Amino acid sequence: MALRRPSVEGPDFFDFVRQANDLTQKLEASSWDFDKVPEVFAKDAAADVVAKEIVHIHDGKTMTRFGRLVMGGVGRQFNLMGPIPPNASLRISYRGVLEEVNRQLKSKGLSDLPEFRKLGKTQDVEFYNYEIFYTTRDLIFWLILHDAGSFPSSLEVMVRHIAAGNIVQSNRYAPTKPSKDLGKPTLMSATGLMVQFPTPVVEWMDKPIYGGLAKDTIHVETLLTTKPTEVSHPYLTLKREGKLTLDNRKYYYRRFMGVTPKDGLRGPHISAEKPANRF
Amino acid sequence: MHPRSESTQFDLFVRGEIPSALAGSLLTTASRRNKERTLFSRWHDSQADLIRLDLVPGKPGRIRAFFLSVDPYWKIPQPQRRPPFYATQPNHGLNAKSDKLWATNLLFGAPLEIDIPSWKPRRLLRRIVPDCESPQISSTSHFAWSPDQRYAYYHQSLLNQSDELVRAKDIAIVRIDCETGSERMWKLLPPSEDSDPCGANFHSAFCYEEYGRKFIGLLRTGAILESLKPHMPVTEHEVVPMTASTIWIAELKEESSELQATLLPGIRELGGLALSHLDIDATGGDGFVLYANYKQADVAEETHGINIYGEHPSEVSEHYSGMTVEALNFGLVLRYEKRSAKTSIRTFNRPYQPGRTSQGHSWLPINIQLDSQRKRLFCSFSGFRPRLLPQHIAKAYPDVAVDPQRIRYVPPLLMRFEAETLVPDYDKSRTYLSYTEPMAFCVAGDASKDYICTFSTETGLRIYLADDLSRVICHAVSPLLMNWRDSHFRPDPAHLVFSQTQ
Repeated sequence: MALRRPSVEGPDFFDFVRQANDLTQKLEASSWDFDKVPEVFAKDAAADVVAKEIVHIHDGKTMTRFGRLVMGGVGRQFNLMGPIPPNASLRISYRGVLEEVNRQLKSKGLSDLPEFRKLGKTQDVEFYNYEIFYTTRDLIFWLILHDAGSFPSSLEVMVRHIAAGNIVQSNRYAPTKPSKDLGKPTLMSATGLMVQFPTPVVEWMDKPIYGGLAKDTIHVETLLTTKPTEVSHPYLTLKREGKLTLDNRKYYYRRFMGVTPKDGLRGPHISAEKPANRF
Repeated sequence: MHPRSESTQFDLFVRGEIPSALAGSLLTTASRRNKERTLFSRWHDSQADLIRLDLVPGKPGRIRAFFLSVDPYWKIPQPQRRPPFYATQPNHGLNAKSDKLWATNLLFGAPLEIDIPSWKPRRLLRRIVPDCESPQISSTSHFAWSPDQRYAYYHQSLLNQSDELVRAKDIAIVRIDCETGSERMWKLLPPSEDSDPCGANFHSAFCYEEYGRKFIGLLRTGAILESLKPHMPVTEHEVVPMTASTIWIAELKEESSELQATLLPGIRELGGLALSHLDIDATGGDGFVLYANYKQADVAEETHGINIYGEHPSEVSEHYSGMTVEALNFGLVLRYEKRSAKTSIRTFNRPYQPGRTSQGHSWLPINIQLDSQRKRLFCSFSGFRPRLLPQHIAKAYPDVAVDPQRIRYVPPLLMRFEAETLVPDYDKSRTYLSYTEPMAFCVAGDASKDYICTFSTETGLRIYLADDLSRVICHAVSPLLMNWRDSHFRPDPAHLVFSQTQ
């Protein structure tokens, strides 16, 4: 989401926090119906993950993901949110895993795909201010405080993850050259996001939800396992498989590539959810 | 298509607790599809894979999955094989009793009987044999059960292609005695005011008793097929609109070889499309309370061609092989009570209002099931993906189809209703609804406590207390559920049933 109020500072801080708290309470008292608190609807939202290059390592006990994400956005500051298991650790790690995998596969990663090459130049950004939300209330409070807002159908996705015992993590990022033009959003590339959690099975990431900008997501995803596997990606086709070595350990790899649609897509030129819509 | 019936098994990773009341098996069906979006197959037709999940209670307990890949020509002699008219493709309905499962297609072919403990196919329920003129058959997807659960009933008919439309021929009612295994068949005569063989297909059936007499009810969807074969080439075409759904009622007479159907009053008058799924309270032997849903979708059609925004399929990456058809507008849930002298109809239909998500919606209702006390009704609604509604289908329904400029994505929903009133079971904590839930669910448990199990191959299995849909008590996943080699299972399974045979 674009953060229309990225920072709260000085004497206004107390008022903003109180106001956000009041609106959150009002929304909760209204059974999370946005029409009762229309201020919560996101305005002019235009931010999406456009492409993702992920290396998933599963050693039979732990899932470790290293990612390079390419986001598109119109605005000065953004946040990227997603559900993770509550026992996951999340950090920025510049271990060069993606580069090493690509080197051994003689691949250019995302640039192997014509859809990605068409996008043009990206700006490098870093994630910062990692935050964790344990309840819908926490999450909505933060989104109101930073004037990011939300959409009811997107919020329901997070509500369902929280109901299943997951937490929601959020990272901020900001381009050095922001865009104000919807037709020409800034493309931002962030490398180094790492998520790790214990699980005896390979667990894939959810499909991204449409944020008003990119209807599809371009993927290069590589699964590394310590034993041969038939595990396939839920949507992407298998492009190649074999063996490679990483940190002196041998892995079987399966690479999946392609383009998938976002969840929650609407027709062309149809606006996002807004107050008092009925259909 | 895979040439054999084969099986695989593996464990799921379980988080949370499997309640002791759920010691048993969950059964579902999956449709195997190629991931290439450039390929087309219609939603009825797919390699069918049947999934049995064996639940061992505990914290976390254990869940083991068993896959059965079904040969569509299982035990059919070579000369009788007439591609593309398969004998069975059980990728939709599940009818379970004791150690037997009868799995069915949405529309085509014969039910396949599977032995649940061994998870192997046992026989085809093909009482009517197709011929050159009528190369395919249709059977009820969701069987009717006698109030004592001893007898299962389904319809079967031939389908033939005459002129531009498909017509049903030789409609029969088949009864299986679950105690003895014996079967009998009646010829079914259509009601005089609803005798058009086009659209005479029946997705679900139910039984009830009244004044000591036994009856069967059949939900006639009204779907009109233009072609028995998949569309070739896949392009826009003229759509023959469905007729309003009806319910046929026939008294089951042991002494007769023919049953005369009549129309249940008040159903055709509702004007709804694709009356499909049901649950029934037929206790007491004096009539019934029927809960059923209208899809408001042309279920005879296929999702292909230019969409309602004029976008070519190549521009719409949501397209996938074997897409279900999208609704034309929001659907309707029906409560029809016929007890003694009393007849009443209640309905629930609601658009989606993003600003009032606590109200729920009724876009494309799928599953419908009463709890064990018959006090609460659970319904799943698939929602709406506007870019997947073809222009040529919407054009055939100018008075029904949604305005493309006023519609957006509608998220899937599972909702609990008060059965008596058909009003959502509102509370401040929103324990009565769950958005973004898979469509396949079942109510399971024992007399003391009901649980809701939801399932999709991608999301896995979620278990809720029926009282509280705001908190998952168990979640189980495996990547091996999602794929068969490099194909995947789409669309998500529609149904899930609980069986305690192990």
